[in-house]
Amino acid sequence: MQHHKEYIPKDYAGKLAKTFIRNPLTMILGIFLVAIGYISLEVMPREENPQMVVSGSTVIVALPGATAKEIEKIIVKPLERKLKEVKGVEHIYGMAMDNVGIVNAAFFIGEAKEDSNLKIYDKIMQNTNMFPQGTMNPIIKPLDIDVDIPVLSVAFYSNNKEMKKTELYDRVKEIQHHINGLDNVAVTELKGGSHHQFNIEVDINKLSGYNLSLGQIKSSVEALAYNVPAIKNRTAESTIAMLGIKNAIDNADDIGNIIVAQYMGSPIYLNQVATVTSSYDIQNFQRVTISTKEENGVFSPFQEQVTLTVSKLQGTNAVIIADEVKNELEKYKEFLSKNGINYVITRNDGERANEAVNELVFHLLLSIVIIAILLIFVLGWRESLIVTFTVPAILAITLFVAYLTGQTINRITLFAFLLSLGLLVDAAIIVIENIHRHYHSVESLHETPDELMIKATDEIGPPTNIATLAIIMTMVPMAFVGQMMGQFMKPIPANVPVALIASLFVAYIFTPYLAVRILKRPGHKKGEH
Amino acid sequence: MFAKFEQLVLKGIQNPMQRKLILLGTLLAFILSVLMIAPTKMVLAKMLPGKNNDTFTIYVKLATGSSIEQTQQVTQCISQYVIQEKEATDTEVFLGMGAPLDFAGLIKGSHFKNSENVAEIVVNLTKKHDREEPSYMMVQRMRPVIQSNCEKLYPNTEISFVEPPAGPPTMAAIVAEIYGNDSQGIRELAHKVENVFKSTEGLVDISIMQDQIYESFEVIVNSTKIAKSGVDIKQLNNILYLAFEGMQIAVKNSEQYNDQIPIFLSLSRKSKEFSKKDLLSIKSKLASLKLMNSMGLMIPVTELVEIKTKKSNPMILSKNLHKMTNVMAETDMVSQVYPLMDARNKILDTFQNEYDIKKIGLFNLELTNKADGKIYKLTWDGEMEVTLDTFVELGAAFIAALVLIYLLMVIYYKSYVLSGIILLGSFLSIIGVIVGHWIWDLITPDTFFLTATSLIGFIALIGISSRNSLLLIDFTKSLMHEKGMHKAEAIAYSSATRAKPIFLTAVAIMLASLLLANDAVFGGLGVSLIFGTIAAVIASLIVVPVLLYMTDLETQFHFHERKAVSIEDPL
Repeated sequence: MQHHKEYIPKDYAGKLAKTFIRNPLTMILGIFLVAIGYISLEVMPREENPQMVVSGSTVIVALPGATAKEIEKIIVKPLERKLKEVKGVEHIYGMAMDNVGIVNAAFFIGEAKEDSNLKIYDKIMQNTNMFPQGTMNPIIKPLDIDVDIPVLSVAFYSNNKEMKKTELYDRVKEIQHHINGLDNVAVTELKGGSHHQFNIEVDINKLSGYNLSLGQIKSSVEALAYNVPAIKNRTAESTIAMLGIKNAIDNADDIGNIIVAQYMGSPIYLNQVATVTSSYDIQNFQRVTISTKEENGVFSPFQEQVTLTVSKLQGTNAVIIADEVKNELEKYKEFLSKNGINYVITRNDGERANEAVNELVFHLLLSIVIIAILLIFVLGWRESLIVTFTVPAILAITLFVAYLTGQTINRITLFAFLLSLGLLVDAAIIVIENIHRHYHSVESLHETPDELMIKATDEIGPPTNIATLAIIMTMVPMAFVGQMMGQFMKPIPANVPVALIASLFVAYIFTPYLAVRILKRPGHKKGEH
Repeated sequence: MFAKFEQLVLKGIQNPMQRKLILLGTLLAFILSVLMIAPTKMVLAKMLPGKNNDTFTIYVKLATGSSIEQTQQVTQCISQYVIQEKEATDTEVFLGMGAPLDFAGLIKGSHFKNSENVAEIVVNLTKKHDREEPSYMMVQRMRPVIQSNCEKLYPNTEISFVEPPAGPPTMAAIVAEIYGNDSQGIRELAHKVENVFKSTEGLVDISIMQDQIYESFEVIVNSTKIAKSGVDIKQLNNILYLAFEGMQIAVKNSEQYNDQIPIFLSLSRKSKEFSKKDLLSIKSKLASLKLMNSMGLMIPVTELVEIKTKKSNPMILSKNLHKMTNVMAETDMVSQVYPLMDARNKILDTFQNEYDIKKIGLFNLELTNKADGKIYKLTWDGEMEVTLDTFVELGAAFIAALVLIYLLMVIYYKSYVLSGIILLGSFLSIIGVIVGHWIWDLITPDTFFLTATSLIGFIALIGISSRNSLLLIDFTKSLMHEKGMHKAEAIAYSSATRAKPIFLTAVAIMLASLLLANDAVFGGLGVSLIFGTIAAVIASLIVVPVLLYMTDLETQFHFHERKAVSIEDPL
C-alpha cells in the first residue's frame, strides 16, 4: 500500500467518525443506548391522550330564595368583574339561576394549574365582603383534568332480588376504601346507589285529624336524636367512672314510638300519624342502572348499580393503576359473589392506552422492517443491516430524552416517532450511500477502509448537518402554536428535533463503525491493486 | 438508469423550450392544486376527523321542569334500540346526573348535571379490532332512528350523541354565540338560528343552551295576615319545604354503616301529591296543611298566603360579562366549515327582513333589529373556532419555518438566489399534499379531510425537500469547484448521482408514512408525507436543476475565476 497523506476531517461528521471508528467503547455505547431506551419505554407512564395543562375554576354561590334576575345582578355580575381582574383568565362564563349563581373562569391553555387555582381562591377570599347578605359560603371548585377524569370505572350490580337497596352501596363503599389505598390512586367516587336513611312519611290527613303540625313532629324528633359525649366523673376512691349516654334512637321502631303530642290526655305516637321505615334516601331522584350482554347474546334487564370511578395522580401510569385495581377487585370477588354482587369494568383507559401504545410500537417495528427490506434491494443486505441497527439506537436516545423531560408515552408521542422514523433513517442512508459509492469507485482504491469511511462521512457532513438543521427549524415554530391543539401536538415539536439530532450523531458514529466491519469491498477490484 | 437520467437532465436544462415547458407545467400544477381546495371543494378541510372508539355516550335532555319519570321513559326508549346492537357489550343509564367524566364531558359540562330532566347513557362496544363497523358509522346509523322515535315522546326533548374526540375536546362542532342586552331578543334570535341549523344539511344534534320557560306557581305571603296570626314567615317557609321537599332533620351515628344515618321527614308521597297541575288542586292541598301559632292554634297555610301562576325564571347565561346564548350543532361525518358557511349564508339571506346585518371579522355578524333598534352579535365558537385558530397558527408556524430555512440557507450559501431556489423547490411539495388528499379521498370510502395533521406533515416536508435540493446544490458546487466541471454537466451529473439517495430517503419516508395514512387522526400527516415527498422528489430532480441552470452559478458560489471546461470532455 502506498504511503499518502492522512485524511484530516474538516467537519464534525468526519471527526466523530474518526474518534469512534476504532474505539472499543463504541460497541458498549451502542448497547448502552439501546438498553436505556428499552428501560425508558418500559418505565415511562403510558396514557392514551397527552397531558394537557388546562386550568380553570368554578365558583358557586348560593342565595336561597333569590330569582335568576336577582342572582345575576347581585352575585354573578360583581363576581364576573372580580374574576376578570385575574391575570391569565381567557373566558368567563356566568350562569344565573334561581337560588344559585355559578361563574366559571377558564384560563389560557398552558397556564400553570396550581398558580391559577390559587389566584382564583385568593381573589374570592379577598372579596368575600362583596357577596350580599344571606349568601352561603362560596364554593370554589378548581378544574383538574387528571383528578376529575377517571381512568377506570367499575359497575357493581346485584343479581340477588332480595338484597336491600342500600346494601349494594354499603358493600361497594367498603371496597372503595381499599381501592383508594392503592398507590397513585387520586380520587375514587361512587355514582348511584341508595344511601341508608330513616324515613318519616307523614300522612297529611291523619295530621289534621290529630290537630298536629309538621313543626311539632320535627321538634320532637330533633329533641330525641341528640348526642352528647360521655360524662366523666370521679368516685370517692379517686378513680374515674365514665358515664356514656346512649342515643335514644336505635332503630325505626324507636323513632315510631316518639310521643309527638298529648291528645285528650293520651299520648300520640309518631307511628300513629306517619310511617317510619329504615330504608333508603327516597328524596334522591338520581338512579344508575346497567344492562350487560349475557353469554347468549341477549341483554339482561336493567338493574340498579353502583359505579366506582378511579382517577390517577398526574404523570402516573394508567396501565399499572388499572391492573392493580383489577387485581384488588379479584381479591374481593369471593366476598362479592357471596353477597350476590357482580361487577363489570365499564371503562379502562389503562387498557386503551396500552393497546394504542402497543399498536403503534408494532407499526413502528413494521415500518423499520419495510425500510430494511427496501434497503436490501437497493443497497444490499449488509448496508441494510447497518441502517436498520441505527433506528433503534436513535429511537432509544429519543425515548430516554423524553423520559428525562417528564413526558409520557401516548398516542401523539408515538406519532412523533412514526413521523421522525421517515426522517431519521435519512442521515444514515446518506452516509451509507456515500460510503457505498466510494467503496465501489475506482478513485478510492488506494485508500484504507478506515480512511475511506471517514472521508465518505466527512464529505456529506456539511450538507446533511444543514439539511437536518433545516428540518429542525420547521419543527421549532410548531412549539409556539397555542390553544388546545398546540398543547395536544406538543410531543411532535418536542421529540422530532431530538430524534433528528440523535440521528445525526448515530449516523456519524455508528454507520462508519459498522460499515468498516460489516461491508465487504468488491473482490474483483482487489486484484488491480 | 442513472446515466440515462443524466443525459435527460443535461438535454432538458440546455433546451430553452423544455425549460419553459417544465416551469410552465409546474406553475399550472400549482394553480390547479390550489383550486382544488378553495372554489371546487374537491379537497375538504376539517380540524380532525372522527376516531374509531370503543365507547360512546348518549346525552338526553328533556324540557326544563320535566320529571325523572319522564326522563326515564325517554332513556328506556333509547335503551331498547341500544340493546339491539350486536356490537354493544354493556350499557349504563345515569338518570338525573352525568356519567363518569370523560374528555368530552369535561367541556360539555357533564359533571354539573344534577336535575331531573337530564340523563346520560354510556354504550360500551366490542374492541375496535374485532369490529367491522367504526363507532362513528354506528352513531351515524343509530342517530336518526333513535332521535325520530324517542324525541317525540315529550316536546323539546334533545338526544345527542357524544363520541370521545380525536383531538382536544370542544363544546360542539359549531357553536353560534348570540350576544345582546335583551334576554327576550336573544331568545327569539336563538330560535331563528336554531331553525336555520335544522334546515342546513350535515348538521345534527342541534340544541340551544337555555332553559325552557314553563308554567310554575308562586306562593305570595300576606304579611299582614302573618303578623295577625302569630306565626313567623320563617316557620311558614320551613313547613312548606318540609312538607313537600322533605328535610333531613337529624342524624344517627352508626357503627355498622359507613355513613351517618339521616332521619328524613316529609309528607308521604301519596298524601302530598297534587291531584293536577293547576291552581285549584294546589290550593286544596295547601288548605289541609296547618301551622301552629304562638298561641297553639292551628292555622291552615292557605289563610296566610295567596297562590298565583307565573312563568319560570330561565337561567341567564353570560360570557366575558356579556349576556349570551349558545346555539350548538354537531356535524354528521362532514367538515364543520361548509355547513357553517351554508348556515351563515342562509342567515344573511333570510334574516334581512327583520334585521340589518353587518359582517364583522371573518365570519361574525352584527344584527340590528329593524323594529326596536336593538343590536345583537353572532360569533362562531366551538370546534370551528379552534379549527380556524389552529389553521391560522399552523400557517404562521409554516411561514416562520420558511423564513428560518431561508435564513439558514443564506448563512450557508451566502446567496439569496440559491436560498430562494431551495425554498421554491420545497414549497412545490404542496402540490403533492393537495393532490394526494384528493386521490386518497377517491380511494377511501369515507370523506378524507385536509386536517391539522396534514398541515404538520406539510411543514415537515418543507425541511425534507429542502434537504434534497441542498444535497444537489452542494454536490454541484463541489463538482464545479474541485473537478472544474461545466455548469450544465455538473448539474446533470449531480442530479443523477444524488437521485439514488434522494429516492431512497423518499421511499423510506413514504413507507414509514404508509401506516400513518390509515389512522383516523394522523391520516392527513401520512398522506401529506407520501404524496408531498413524491412532489418534492420531482421538484428537486427536475424543477430545481432547471432553475439552477438559469442562474449564474459561478457568481452565486463565489468562485473567483471561471472554470470553463468543454462540455464534451468532462474529466
